Amino acid sequence: MGAHIPILAIAVPLLGGFATPLLAKLHRRLRDLWALLVVLFVGACVGYVAVHVFAQGLWVYVLGARSPQETLAPGGFPIRIMLVVDGMSAFMGIIAGLLALVAFPFALKFLPEEEGKNLALTLGLLLLAGILGMAYTGDLFNFFVFLEVTSIAACALIGYRTWTSRAPEAAFKTMLLYSLSGLLFLLAVALLYGEYGALNLAYLSAQLRGSRVDRLALALFLGALAMKAAAAPVHFWAPDAYGEAPAAQTLLLVVNTQVSLYGLWRVLFTLYGGVWDAGLGWLVVAMGLLTLVVAAFMALLQTDLGRLVAYGAVSQIGYMMLGVGVGLATLAGRPDYGLVALKGGVFHMLNDALTVGLLFLCVGAVEWATGTRDLRELGGLGHGLPEVALCFLLASLALAGIPPLNGFASKILIYEGSFRLSPILTAIAVLASILLLAVYARAFQGAFLGPRAEVPRRVPAVFLLAMAVLAVGIVVLGLVPGFFLEGVVTPAAEALWRGRAQYLAAVLGG
Amino acid sequence: MREALTVLTGQGYWSPLIWAAAALGTFLLAGLLWWRGRREYKRGTEQELPFVSGERVENPRVGALHLYWGLTEALRPLLERLRGWHSGVVNDYAGWFVVVLGVVLLLLLL
Amino acid sequence: MIGNLPFVACMVLIALGLWTLVFKRNLIKLVIGIGLIESGVNLFLVALGYVRGGVPPIYTYAPAGAPMVLPTPQALTLTSIVIGLATTALMLAFAVVIYRHKGTLDARKIRDLRG
Repeated sequence: MGAHIPILAIAVPLLGGFATPLLAKLHRRLRDLWALLVVLFVGACVGYVAVHVFAQGLWVYVLGARSPQETLAPGGFPIRIMLVVDGMSAFMGIIAGLLALVAFPFALKFLPEEEGKNLALTLGLLLLAGILGMAYTGDLFNFFVFLEVTSIAACALIGYRTWTSRAPEAAFKTMLLYSLSGLLFLLAVALLYGEYGALNLAYLSAQLRGSRVDRLALALFLGALAMKAAAAPVHFWAPDAYGEAPAAQTLLLVVNTQVSLYGLWRVLFTLYGGVWDAGLGWLVVAMGLLTLVVAAFMALLQTDLGRLVAYGAVSQIGYMMLGVGVGLATLAGRPDYGLVALKGGVFHMLNDALTVGLLFLCVGAVEWATGTRDLRELGGLGHGLPEVALCFLLASLALAGIPPLNGFASKILIYEGSFRLSPILTAIAVLASILLLAVYARAFQGAFLGPRAEVPRRVPAVFLLAMAVLAVGIVVLGLVPGFFLEGVVTPAAEALWRGRAQYLAAVLGG
Repeated sequence: MREALTVLTGQGYWSPLIWAAAALGTFLLAGLLWWRGRREYKRGTEQELPFVSGERVENPRVGALHLYWGLTEALRPLLERLRGWHSGVVNDYAGWFVVVLGVVLLLLLL
Repeated sequence: MIGNLPFVACMVLIALGLWTLVFKRNLIKLVIGIGLIESGVNLFLVALGYVRGGVPPIYTYAPAGAPMVLPTPQALTLTSIVIGLATTALMLAFAVVIYRHKGTLDARKIRDLRG
């Protein structure tokens, strides 16, 4: 049983998703309980996998064979599909599990029964299955399949409220761009298959020579995954999608974006780690900076609370790209500051999941209580919803990197690491942070401050519980950052920094 | 325990504990200054109202969208261009993707 | 040269698809553009697996010693076609819903979400 945990983490939400509408036919309570149980099971699985991987190193799970060595064909390449969970995959799994555990109880209360709650829960579980598949798989074609699973589930989740006119519009635009990026990803996989005749990530990584075809495939990978990860200037779908999806399910969309970013790191560090060059790192850094600045400025212009938070979430992608990009640019000499920036970038993924997740939950609570997200109509909610106001303030400060909250702990690593590469990078990143603080101060002032406003609907306890979990996480990660940095982030960052050799050895043997 | 609290950044370190001590000191100082302030104003009179050129204002709240008016006004050319990029036309978005793909291809293949 | 024709064809298909996505305004035509790119990629995959003079990769039917075409790309293509069906259906469904709300399929007029 214990040996099959990684595949169960993918298979159970898949089964759970398709069983959800059937159970709803029996009883709604049963369906809610089922969804909760599935998410709890997934949370336990990703936790188990993470503990195992952090303690004992890589976990290779082969479908249909006991060990990867049994699957080696005479040519020396593995012929079965396998899941390869290293520190970074386990870390992504934790983020996905954590946000799902928060999002689902919230969603069960938040989604109105007559407005397609069945659909939203089903699609949410499918999306979770796809995300974990992307995080754990060690096979490029498998990665593509899970990429498309997340694309379809995510877009259906954005657009299932067909009676509104904005949701289908956002869903169509997102779906078009997702399909485009998915197809170009497949083209890249096909190019590599044509050259090396294999789809296994580790085998391909060992074989890659850096030829022209390889570089063409790399460009396609980079473009496709950057699009799905909402990097500027191909981030245009993200504010639409985040803004129009139901607030609770937006948390899953945030993880979906992050796991695409994880896919980009996997391609750049593991697949192309052997034929690396510094220009790539600079490319990622440049895209990261552009994302930061553009999204922060755009957030300044928003009048819709959901869309404002969405742009803030996009700008956080820029910090991750900056941190990891600095690590990638310095991968040749492997200086200490490269690892510092890389750790900062990876740590920021966890912090971003917590803070952006909390912000979207606050947006959902405000929408629940008042029925609107428009900053021109909102105001004075701090009197009626003090807990929500406090959570929003906490998350805003954390997102803007105010000490002693968690956003600061990761941003200082990114700042100090990137400063050694070039001070200009740090300057731009700090400026964008200040801008974000201004943006969120404005959102807070607009929604929560001012003369007392009527709050038509009380916020239920489960909302506050879900928000409290994330808020406590933000404070604890801020106050004892070293603990999490050593326990969770360092194994993940090391898996990218030096882990390629172990990754190849674990799959190919020797 | 010290390791759990501190983050080494290569050139220095970040410790929330020291920050908390410093923040406490700052708050104490601020409290001291506030405590030494004037207290003889009359509560509940017009001395508590905001002063707007001597006029009485019905709703003295500054709406959120009026914040940073000066900043957005000064940056208007930049912001208008950024807003123009987010045109909402899906063809433009696909076009941006093709441009990015082209740039990446050029950088990697040359 | 003639052996490279499938690859030329799929590059033409992909280029046409990208051109459609950038310059055509009708949402249905955009979906067709995605379909063109998909066909190009699928053709590429199948063409990759072709072996000159190869027979279908079925062990029980193939004559002994005859070269077989690669079975893996065909499996990949099948998967890709199924995924493509799902994405196309989803996009067309959204296009229908958008048309019901707006009464138009012109991408330039469907821009409530901007800025």
